[in-house]
Amino acid sequence: MRFLSWLIRGKSPKASHLMLAPAALWLLIFLILPIIGLLALSFIQRGPYGTLLWSFTWGNFSRALNPKYLPVLLRTLGYASSATFLCLLLGFPLAYYLSFGAGRSRGTLLVLLMVPFWTSCLVSLYSWMIILGRQGLLNHLLLKLGLAENPLALLNTPFSVLLGLVYFYLPFMVLPLFGSLEKIPRSYIEASYDLGAGTWATFRKVTWPLCLPGVFAGCLLTFVPCLGDFLTADFLGGSGTYLLGNLIQNQFLMAQDWPFGAALTTVLTFCLTWAIFLHQRFEGRELEMRG
Amino acid sequence: MRGKALSVYCAALYGLLYLPLAVMFAFSFNNARRNVAWRGFTLKWYSSLFQDAELLTALATSLKLALAASLIACLLGLLASYAMARHAPFKGRGLYSCLVSVPLMMPEIVMGVGLLSFFARLGIALNFWSLACAHALIALPYTTSSIRARLLSLKDCRLEEAAMDLGASEWQAFLKVTLPLAGPALLSGSLLAFTVSFEDFVTSFFIAGIGIVTMPVKIYTMMKFGVTPEINAMASCLVGLTIVLLAGNAALRAYDNGRRREI
Repeated sequence: MRFLSWLIRGKSPKASHLMLAPAALWLLIFLILPIIGLLALSFIQRGPYGTLLWSFTWGNFSRALNPKYLPVLLRTLGYASSATFLCLLLGFPLAYYLSFGAGRSRGTLLVLLMVPFWTSCLVSLYSWMIILGRQGLLNHLLLKLGLAENPLALLNTPFSVLLGLVYFYLPFMVLPLFGSLEKIPRSYIEASYDLGAGTWATFRKVTWPLCLPGVFAGCLLTFVPCLGDFLTADFLGGSGTYLLGNLIQNQFLMAQDWPFGAALTTVLTFCLTWAIFLHQRFEGRELEMRG
Repeated sequence: MRGKALSVYCAALYGLLYLPLAVMFAFSFNNARRNVAWRGFTLKWYSSLFQDAELLTALATSLKLALAASLIACLLGLLASYAMARHAPFKGRGLYSCLVSVPLMMPEIVMGVGLLSFFARLGIALNFWSLACAHALIALPYTTSSIRARLLSLKDCRLEEAAMDLGASEWQAFLKVTLPLAGPALLSGSLLAFTVSFEDFVTSFFIAGIGIVTMPVKIYTMMKFGVTPEINAMASCLVGLTIVLLAGNAALRAYDNGRRREI
């Protein structure tokens, strides 16, 4: 009992560290060490039949950047940034509505936004396959309405992959946007109107600059998971939409080339760290501007 | 950006968000092997679902896994957030709160392949418990933030001090005052952790090995090899479960907020 009371009182840093230790150990063992391991693995040569040769090499990285794989990398960056941009474009009006126009239904609308987000993405993927297939619902509808003469190829196209990415990551964009729009004091906007600014000028000069932190956070939260996504391209994409995630999955589970897979994962993690760094810099500048 | 056009736009966007769920739900009652046209109402996919032994095993595995992972995550989260919210500032606190949000930021595939190669390197068997530990890691940020927020909001209440003035020891005050007050947050964090683990596909996919088949992994195999309309029925059940868990979480939060106002 004494010990427990000492632990809870937490007057000595030792008690605090002891209480924090289990979770910290968990993070160390199941997060930090595996990531360090991956980094180490990416500098190792692959032996025959997927075994490892313990000698240092840059080969896995130069292979990731050779003409065979570089397009995959660039394509992934392209898809991730277009999906992020589309999410911002589509999500901003929604976030704006949620924080300024929704009134009493706001709570319900926010919960409704979370349900598809929490639903297993496999389920929605499966459903999109039903909708977009050659004999799917959408084509059925288009043919019935006479808008198309033959079934359109909607599935296995860049369109379907982008649609899937935007669908899955839209809430990641809307929630931070909502959060920062919500924080803007309403008096600022009223003041702007009082001083004679119109709706557009108020938006451009007051609302937009003040919600920029949310824009950056939303873009980061959308961009990062898009980079690693492999399920969307797996089910909604064809051979032309092979992304980094698919390549990594392939190296680990099919090709058994773990060092190369690890190098690709390191590249992915590097892109992510860079995105976070950019975000922090913008955040910093944002604070200075306000400061 | 004001007015009717905006509301119409948002309604359309919500429609789009729910379109796949609605389609899947509708087709789960469709009396046809293929998801193309409507051939009449049936419940046969639901009944065959509950006779499929493999599916039921997968469901049981997922439930057990989610339970184990959420319990671990809840315990770790409680200890860590107590130290962070209630103790005097100490070294390593900032570092920890940075680290604990990393699982949220990492693409899951990085953690999946990282854990796969880590376990393989150390010769750790890929079984139920290794997966439960990994799920606890993914769920940890959710339990930590939920419990920490609650403990921080209790800071001004001085209820524990009152309890100790009345003769309770620190441990008694914790057990009889703090824990009951933090209870709803604990439960709501655990529910989130449960949902995270239950819905997780990517991590399970990489490190489940051959022995363990969770529900999402089972759905994946079904989608890859031979589509059956049973998926619609099963997915509808899963969405139903998710909604129940989320509603439970929302209700707990509402209850907790109401109580906080009373205090």
